[in-house]
Amino acid sequence: MRFRWLAVFPLLYAAAFLLAAWWLRGAAPALALFVPGQRIVVRILAVAGCFVAASVFERGDHLRRAWLWLGWGAVAILLRDLLRLLPPFQPASAGPGAQIIVSGLGILSNVALLAGVWALARSWKMAAIELPGGRSGIIAVAAVTAVLAVAVAGPGALKNARELAAGDWGSLILFVSAVADIISLCLITPLLLTAVSLRGGVFSWPWGLITASQLSWLLYDAAAGLTPALGLRGFPVMAETFRGMAENYLFVAGVAQYLVIRQVRRAAG
Amino acid sequence: MTSIATSIAEQIAERLTPYIGQFNSRMWVKAVARRELGLAPDEVTAAHLGTLLDGLRPSLSTLMGRGAAEDLLLQIRREVR
Repeated sequence: MRFRWLAVFPLLYAAAFLLAAWWLRGAAPALALFVPGQRIVVRILAVAGCFVAASVFERGDHLRRAWLWLGWGAVAILLRDLLRLLPPFQPASAGPGAQIIVSGLGILSNVALLAGVWALARSWKMAAIELPGGRSGIIAVAAVTAVLAVAVAGPGALKNARELAAGDWGSLILFVSAVADIISLCLITPLLLTAVSLRGGVFSWPWGLITASQLSWLLYDAAAGLTPALGLRGFPVMAETFRGMAENYLFVAGVAQYLVIRQVRRAAG
Repeated sequence: MTSIATSIAEQIAERLTPYIGQFNSRMWVKAVARRELGLAPDEVTAAHLGTLLDGLRPSLSTLMGRGAAEDLLLQIRREVR
């Protein structure tokens, strides 16, 4: 039952966030404080979830490394967001040094998060988990995921690659981020199929919740991409909602990972 | 009287099921019995228990860490007969 509550928490949070954003819709200064503030809250929760998960493993365990990568990636992006609250690091006023620090943290975070998702995604092979659907089923799911990932994050990657080629180094972070997004969104396939394969067992929960986090990032990228393309005013709030869901699903996945390991040890003890 | 005793392989799979589900627990026991012992699951006896559990250790350690895997294997060794 507690795992179901963990799965529901990000949805409840998203509903509460949307309600608060709607309530503040007429007060732009309050909304401008609320949105980055709640972003810091979900970043902190994601960091906590990753390190709680890592804490239950021993040094040298494969999943401990995976969760530590995710945790340090979450720390880097939290630091970037905190710095951005300070005037010298805000986009409008940041000097070259501040830009390098902010961009560097963004790139570090993307690389670390990708390493963590990669490590989680290859666990099925290391553990000899039988994925459902056979070879054709796996290829079909992988193809659908890859098409979605490229459709959502590909245009941004291409645009930033062009700007980078034209000498705009400010596009580097956006390009790295878009490429990392495409790769990590493609990794939804092994994460999802691992969760399905483990169904009926409590270990399917952390994998299912990590998959939900990655799917939320997919929705975030789609919403963020639609904002400038369609000129829709409500979409920044939608993108922020999906970002919060992604971070909160990472948080609850970490907590679920901790709980299932504790459950094994308590039952066996 | 007909024996309805559960086989060693089934007992092990039953103890893995709450954690990794019925599908994977059966597949893992079947794969390890074939790879380590060259036997079908229903041919495994109590004498093979140690080899079978040793064969399960790498997969379990990947999925739940070495500490939890060792605890679970010890529990199975205690309970399965």
